[in-house]
Amino acid sequence: MSMEDYDFLFKIVLIGNAGVGKTCLVRRFTQGLFPPGQGATIGVDFMIKTVEINGEKVKLQIWDTAGQERFRSITQSYYRSANALILTYDITCEESFRCLPEWLREIEQYASNKVITVLVGNKIDLAERREVSQQRAEEFSEAQDMYYLETSAKESDNVEKLFLDLACRLISEARQNTLVNNVSSPLPGEGKSISYLTCCNFN
Amino acid sequence: MADNLPTEFDVIIIGTGLPESILAAACSRSGQRVLHVDSRSYYGGNWASFSFSGLLSWLKEYQQNNDIGEESTVAWQDLIHETEEAITLRKKDETIQHTEAFCYASQDVEDDIEEIGALQKNPSSGVSSTFTEVLDSACLPEESQSSYFNSDEMPAKHTQKSAGEISLEIADVDESVEKEKYCGDKTCIHTVSDKDGVKDESTSTVEDDANQPNRNRITYSKIVKEGRRFNIDLVSKLLYSQGSLIDLLIKSDVSRYVEFKNVTRILAFREGKVEQVPCSRADVFNSKELTMVEKRILMKFLTFCLEYEQHPDEYQAFRQCSFSEYLKTKKLTPNLQHFVLHSIAMTSESSCTTIDGLNATKNFLQCLGRFGNTPFLFPLYGQGEIPQCFCRMCAVFGGIYCLRHKVQCFVVDKESGRCKAIIDHFGQRINAKYFIVEDGYLSEETCLNVQYKQISRAVLITDKSILKTDSDQQTSILIVPPAEPGACAVRVTELCSSTMTCMKDTYLVHLTCSSSKTAREDLESVVEKLFTPYADIEINKEELTKPRLLWALYFNMRDSSGISRSSYNGLPSNVYVCSGPDCGLGNEHAVKQAETLFQEIFPSEEFCPPPPNPEDIIFDGDDKQPEVPGTNNTVIAKLQSSEESKNLESPEKHLQN
Ligand SMILES: Cc1cc2nc3c(=O)[nH]c(=O)nc-3n(C[C@H](O)[C@H](O)[C@H](O)COP(=O)(O)OP(=O)(O)OC[C@H]3O[C@@H](n4cnc5c(N)ncnc54)[C@H](O)[C@@H]3O)c2cc1C
Ligand SMILES: Nc1nc2c(ncn2[C@@H]2O[C@H](COP(=O)(O)OP(=O)(O)O)[C@@H](O)[C@H]2O)c(=O)[nH]1
Ligand SMILES: [Mg+2]
Repeated sequence: MSMEDYDFLFKIVLIGNAGVGKTCLVRRFTQGLFPPGQGATIGVDFMIKTVEINGEKVKLQIWDTAGQERFRSITQSYYRSANALILTYDITCEESFRCLPEWLREIEQYASNKVITVLVGNKIDLAERREVSQQRAEEFSEAQDMYYLETSAKESDNVEKLFLDLACRLISEARQNTLVNNVSSPLPGEGKSISYLTCCNFN
Repeated sequence: MADNLPTEFDVIIIGTGLPESILAAACSRSGQRVLHVDSRSYYGGNWASFSFSGLLSWLKEYQQNNDIGEESTVAWQDLIHETEEAITLRKKDETIQHTEAFCYASQDVEDDIEEIGALQKNPSSGVSSTFTEVLDSACLPEESQSSYFNSDEMPAKHTQKSAGEISLEIADVDESVEKEKYCGDKTCIHTVSDKDGVKDESTSTVEDDANQPNRNRITYSKIVKEGRRFNIDLVSKLLYSQGSLIDLLIKSDVSRYVEFKNVTRILAFREGKVEQVPCSRADVFNSKELTMVEKRILMKFLTFCLEYEQHPDEYQAFRQCSFSEYLKTKKLTPNLQHFVLHSIAMTSESSCTTIDGLNATKNFLQCLGRFGNTPFLFPLYGQGEIPQCFCRMCAVFGGIYCLRHKVQCFVVDKESGRCKAIIDHFGQRINAKYFIVEDGYLSEETCLNVQYKQISRAVLITDKSILKTDSDQQTSILIVPPAEPGACAVRVTELCSSTMTCMKDTYLVHLTCSSSKTAREDLESVVEKLFTPYADIEINKEELTKPRLLWALYFNMRDSSGISRSSYNGLPSNVYVCSGPDCGLGNEHAVKQAETLFQEIFPSEEFCPPPPNPEDIIFDGDDKQPEVPGTNNTVIAKLQSSEESKNLESPEKHLQN
């Protein structure tokens, strides 16, 4: 296996109330399917998808909450070293929109301050049951300095666009050298941070 | 969230400390349906790490511990059937005692004004406002009062009260109302968004230069403002690079959730001075403190220790002696003896035998170079990350998580004597086959015959390293030998900002020893040897070489390790107890306990086997060619294995060629 099979690696993290469609968005994007039924996939930690943007291979590591949002028990460590956050609500569920400020507070507390945040209103295929108007969401996202997009994981609307636009943005941020990784990158002469300890590294 | 908890589980785990979290991951991984709850709003129990404001809220909780119980809980008594009995759990935590906080950094009023201005940029944020109150009730040492009380709004009577040191526990309730008012406009300080961080930094630097041209000044409000940068561990531990936690993290793949930094220096404290202990071959040769002869002697001795078993003649005669006696016979100069005894073997003067000492030295040397030139690793963002990472693993395999979830009692079937269910604070009965509970949750009655040890802890925020070198990003461990024989050595860990546990230009220092008195009584003398309070500086010029204390916290924590199951009264056979943090440097106790309990409960199951590689699960997406305007995308999904290995420093053996 080659060591360098991508030019960029980004960690993208999804958050938002339970049931808004986070898992479906990830699976739609990474596997191209809309999972029937409710049951969360057991044992899937994060999903990887490598995309090519303007000739550069970008590896997206997409993390889902593992259901810990259900009882408001997401671990802080989940947010660490994320390059981007996708904050999702359900356009047919007012409650999921009203919880956004609470999520933003959690982001502010635990995520890096350089993280890119995208607000996503999901389930636009259910337009007839919409409870949160596009305008309201746009105003909110503007005030919070977030990008905003509406999607349907079910109909595959805007899902590719969501992740690929995000990848583009992450690349240009990386180019400007303002990426999160720099925060923790050691100064010369110090112990590097050691990640991904794997068995094959010793003996 | 109007979501109801399921009521059938295989295993219910109460408490999210390290052993419980490892067990949760292990159980869930082996296919058990796990419910993992914690009564607190954060993960980790006494293994948690906090931001600065989080720590202050934590303190306040212990201060106010008395008035718990007003909460509406549904009575459990009616829910117990005739054939059952209940074992109630503790209502309030009693594992933390003698909390005492001190602020030495100046409390500049101007800083506050500046931040309130900044706040308007970000009106939506609103973190808890508890910190100021806590600070006010934690008393301020006299030195720093002058600047603090410059504020007219400060109630005068507080001045009298804060002479000397008053612990948080006895904060005056009457004052709190007044305090709230005073804090009214200060409350917002720490809500300043991080996004403004860079800008704020530059403004305050300008201001600093005007005020105090010579030294980079850290004020209390800066600490509060940058409070998010802190990840302050309640328990101070390191990972042995060949230790069982590292092995478990690697084996279970939980290591993918956490990053580490090397501890970069081993320090010694001898004759009032802090020195670096040369431990790797390179260190020994580069040492400026050691003479050529000492270097040769030390190298020879360390090389011998690595393979001491092959030279029994070298130590046979000293089997019955203490290690320190043995070292005296090895031609090591006093400082070399000190280094080996306290900093490398990390043993105590009196109790350690020659064999134990040689073994400890050998272990130390073998751990060197696995990841760097000391045997220790520290997790980025603090020790509190580690239990959380195991919890995530549990959740990934279907475990259900519920913080802020109080359990009122175990329901025990009278006939079988086995526990069937818990009743939570909503009065909901949740059934399971096995129950795992952290010691701190057990009631006084259950623990009546248990003798607990205590750990003395201090947390300091300082402005300089205890041993200054070219680089200001060192992570160090220092063992301060006991002043008198028989007392306990104090372990000091100094963390720099690149460990992501403290703000720039500060250090976070943890002191730990097993308690003989209150934490402050046990540790204050060591603190005074190594640091100087902030305000002493102008008076005492020679003290300038010592780092200054900006903030300090002392507390005692219960050490429930090593308690045999039979000491607890009336535990049903399917209820298992995990202990809180032990006093040791490593995490071996927690890992061993988790593994032992797991094997007891599920003898035929493997403990934390590696999960499938997420990258193997990924479907191939080549069939899709999405079109996104402006980009030329091909979507390629990949099967890859851990190319991340390149992030690792290659292991070097420093002492062996
Ligand atoms: C580099 C290094 C690596 C270590 N790795 C581990 C480890 O992986 N797991 C662990 O449990 N302890 C380890 N230790 C030992 C650990 O530091 C001490 O047990 C701990 O500091 C408690 O000290 P104490 O004063 O209570 O007991 P001590 O009097 O220091 O020793 C208590 C017991 O621990 C045993 N011990 C001492 N050193 C080691 C050692 N290196 N490895 C294993 N057992 C030892 C002794 O034989 C003794 O029975 C290590 C020590 C060093 C210096
Ligand atoms: N109609 C519609 N339903 C969706 C969409 N996305 C998710 N869902 C449904 O919403 C429910 C919750 O989705 P899930 O992805 O598990 O949400 P999560 O809890 O945020 O991960 C499931 O029943 C999905 O089928 C969508 O875009 N449209
Ligand atoms: Mg989900």
